[in-house]
Amino acid sequence: MRAQMQRRAALGFGCGVICSPVVWPFAHPLALWVPLLGGAAGAAFAAAVPRESGGWLDDAFTSGALALPFWLLLEIIVLPLAGGGQPAWTAVGLRAAFGALAGWLFFGLMLGAVLNRVLAAAHVALTPVPQAPPAGKPVRVLILGGGFAGVTTARKLEKLLGADPSFDITLVSDSNALLFTPMLAEVAGSSLEPTHISTPLRASLRRTRVVRGHAVAVDLAERRVSLQPDDVQRIARTLEYDHLVLALGSVSNFFGQSNIERTAHDFKSLTDAIRIRNAVIANFERADRESDPVVRRRLLRFVVAGGGFAGIELAGALNDFARGMLAEYPDLDARDVRVTVVHARERILPELGPELAAYALAKMSERGVQFKLNTRVRDASATAVFLDPPEEIAAETLVWTAGTAPNRLLATLGVERDKRGAVLVEATLAVAGHAGLWALGDCASIPDLAAGGTLPPTAQYALREAETLAYNIRSAVRGATLRTFHFTSIGALCVIGHQSACAELRTPLGGRKVHFSGLFAWLMWRVVYLAKLPGFDRKVRVLIDWVTELYFPRDTVQTIEL
Amino acid sequence: MISLAYRRMAAGGLAGFLGALAMLFLPSGIGANPFLVVVSGTAAGALFAAALGSRPLGPGATLVWGLGGAFVLWMAGCALDLVTSGAFRGGSMLDIARVHFAALVGLSLAGILFGFVAGTFGVSPEPGRARLRVARALCGGGFAGIVGGWAFGKWMEQAGFFPLIAGIVGSNSAHVGAALHFAIAILIGASFGLLFQREIRGVGSSLGWGAAYGVLWWFLGPLTLLPLLEGARPDWSVAHAAGLFGSLVGHIVYGIIVGLLYAVVDDLWRWLFERSDPLNRQAEGAGILALSSIARGAAASIGGGLLFSVVMVRTDQLSRVAQLVGAHSSVAGFFVHLVISALIGASYGVFFHDEATDDRIALAWGSLYGLIWWFLGPLTLFPILLGGQFTWTTVAASEGVPSLLGHLLYGMGLAVAFRALERRHLAHLFIDARLRKSWLRRRRPAGSPTPALLLFFIAVGTLVPIILT
Repeated sequence: MRAQMQRRAALGFGCGVICSPVVWPFAHPLALWVPLLGGAAGAAFAAAVPRESGGWLDDAFTSGALALPFWLLLEIIVLPLAGGGQPAWTAVGLRAAFGALAGWLFFGLMLGAVLNRVLAAAHVALTPVPQAPPAGKPVRVLILGGGFAGVTTARKLEKLLGADPSFDITLVSDSNALLFTPMLAEVAGSSLEPTHISTPLRASLRRTRVVRGHAVAVDLAERRVSLQPDDVQRIARTLEYDHLVLALGSVSNFFGQSNIERTAHDFKSLTDAIRIRNAVIANFERADRESDPVVRRRLLRFVVAGGGFAGIELAGALNDFARGMLAEYPDLDARDVRVTVVHARERILPELGPELAAYALAKMSERGVQFKLNTRVRDASATAVFLDPPEEIAAETLVWTAGTAPNRLLATLGVERDKRGAVLVEATLAVAGHAGLWALGDCASIPDLAAGGTLPPTAQYALREAETLAYNIRSAVRGATLRTFHFTSIGALCVIGHQSACAELRTPLGGRKVHFSGLFAWLMWRVVYLAKLPGFDRKVRVLIDWVTELYFPRDTVQTIEL
Repeated sequence: MISLAYRRMAAGGLAGFLGALAMLFLPSGIGANPFLVVVSGTAAGALFAAALGSRPLGPGATLVWGLGGAFVLWMAGCALDLVTSGAFRGGSMLDIARVHFAALVGLSLAGILFGFVAGTFGVSPEPGRARLRVARALCGGGFAGIVGGWAFGKWMEQAGFFPLIAGIVGSNSAHVGAALHFAIAILIGASFGLLFQREIRGVGSSLGWGAAYGVLWWFLGPLTLLPLLEGARPDWSVAHAAGLFGSLVGHIVYGIIVGLLYAVVDDLWRWLFERSDPLNRQAEGAGILALSSIARGAAASIGGGLLFSVVMVRTDQLSRVAQLVGAHSSVAGFFVHLVISALIGASYGVFFHDEATDDRIALAWGSLYGLIWWFLGPLTLFPILLGGQFTWTTVAASEGVPSLLGHLLYGMGLAVAFRALERRHLAHLFIDARLRKSWLRRRRPAGSPTPALLLFFIAVGTLVPIILT
């Protein structure tokens, strides 16, 4: 491609030199810089000519049209300035240069026509530049996981590789869309339509083959991944790979409490958020027809286990949603509605500083959220949540955000893992001792080269890891040097309820932490996450949802029976 | 069966012959040998038709080619005169151009004849081309004509032009003139739709077509038909044309509004009833395309805006721009200028996103858009926004020469940067071969009269103000 362009430019230079004497009768007679400038203009023009250019008349008129701005630039601005004077951008100056205009116009017309014919002849006469055929079979890159880490890896690979046919990229995901988890609490709180925070994978990936499926086994020796058979044909499918990327994310960790696992709502997927929202609405409906005040209170009590980001954002959203619904249920007592956060540590939001955590606690308590600190959920039944230190909360809705663990498939791989269960990787994100095996995101334990220890398993890190990983896969295939992963968090944002949030940002120089809270932090949250939400159309839809919410009550239509 | 090439040449020759006859009989000021004029006119028409080859053409496309060819022929004639008269220096080229201004008008009108004759009799089959929707063309064009006519009417009212138009029907009433003006504006708008519906692919190209059509109607209307309908001989001299400079700007502004509104109505129609159909779904929907084009256009405007600001600083124009927001400092003017640049850049993104097939065409569209904004901005909107009146005068045009340069620089800078951003975006999209195919379908095919349009409007839009002032 470059060789073709160079050849065209060389021909253009020659044509420009040949055509430029036409300027001399009108301006700058016999000036030697005219052919040189004409040659340069011809080279630039020829380089810009597409392969499927039109006829000579088209090219003549196009370059004739460009001759006018060229004349203005050269004769009115550049030449007077080069002569040490001022630009001649007055009516008098334009009139004085009118003759040169005719010269450059004829030059443009001639150049376009001549160059068109010369390039056409050259195309026929000269041997086309040979295109290097792709060598051997394409390198198969298989990415397991359709979350931030997996999808961003696929995107970055696409960006790095373009249409390079020597790579074949496949992404295995158990859903056909990328879920934007920072907005999941708003779906549970009925602020956002569920599909608006999910971006279809097939619409956002250009050359990656998307396979909807669930990986159940990885044969590292044979470089093969087995997918769960589908429900209809019951045929297991296997995918072979040269490079395998583990981006399986995490699952909820119930710490072996089977009652909790059976009773509690999970809060990881879009389905979970939809179920929680519908559970709240269904409980309100039941409470509205319930005559027993004890049962009614139990129905209107919502317990969230875990006071980290996910739990606090969910509790804030549920509290707003539930209290807003009371307007439609005049027979229910506001004192019966209660969202309780159970948190095992002495303060909520351990990811943020103590001042912001205290602010969040005070603000949410003010809005009616109850906190049980230094407390664990010990057990649960259909009608109660049992705490440790011993206490019983009569509630029918428990949401679990109190612990996560890497995907269970990792345990079957036979690779080194940390105590959390994440795969130990090098700073290049490669798994030591397994060529072509890589891991990132929640399922990887990545060394922190700057501060020691390991990097936190958050989306912010996963997005950056994906860029390094994509680069390293390409480098590994091409025998180039691998990069190590470095990143320092730029901060964290957490919504705690209606138009209120906490923000902790790190300054670019010095890394000092700056705190914001309240309305400003909330606006910051919305701007930042709207910008990060993938897809222009999704941004518009979410923006419309947010504006709608300002003027209309949240939707309380129950969409699924529980 | 006569082949297309011969049929087209015969039609071109006939158009050249008729155009030459018209030039001999109509204007005052063409003193060439009548035999030579007729022979050379016929030959030029036939040769130009032959040069068009077998490209698919209708009356609208041929008309635009005719206008472009007419301009080139006029410049060639002026150069020939310069050579034969022995004056080989730039200064006299302007004098010759002024002397032969009548020939420019005459040749442009001959270009119209060429368009109608060669475009009607030399038309070739166009497989796969959308058919002309007459009702949509008439309604969209008529509506655009009304609004454009209203804007142009403001100047006509201010310049006391309506009684002059009323003279067509033997009246001197301003009301009759205004009614006639609107009727003509609607007719021109409707004819725009009929002629160019299949040439226009978006708002950007429609703006260009509209502006060129406005120039054409200046040659045809106040310089030719108006005196003829009033029983006088048309005067195509440079002195008479200079007296009608305000009308030229008015016609261009009218054309731009017609082009803009016609394309918006047409686009809205296709958007609501065709593109919204799931069966016609594109991978990148119209909304995403528009939003991303706005963002790219605004970003691309930075370079062009800064280039323009250099001209503004050197000609001390920034403090005038600051008056738009009630300030007087150059710093405030600079920021206002950048905001305006970003807005115009965003509009370029939306209007021209599919127009530039390569860097050359992008530069030319950018120049055209810059030129359009010279007519719309400093000559029209700027004085109005500062609480004044239209300044469609040769004096204002003379004073606005630095601004003309600034607008052209801005347009070119904007177009080049936008093309670079668009190419980057397309490189990502084209990883998927299907998206490349769908983009190629949207793109203007080779052989369209775009080069002729660009040459005609950029040349005439730049040169005529120089010649007339």
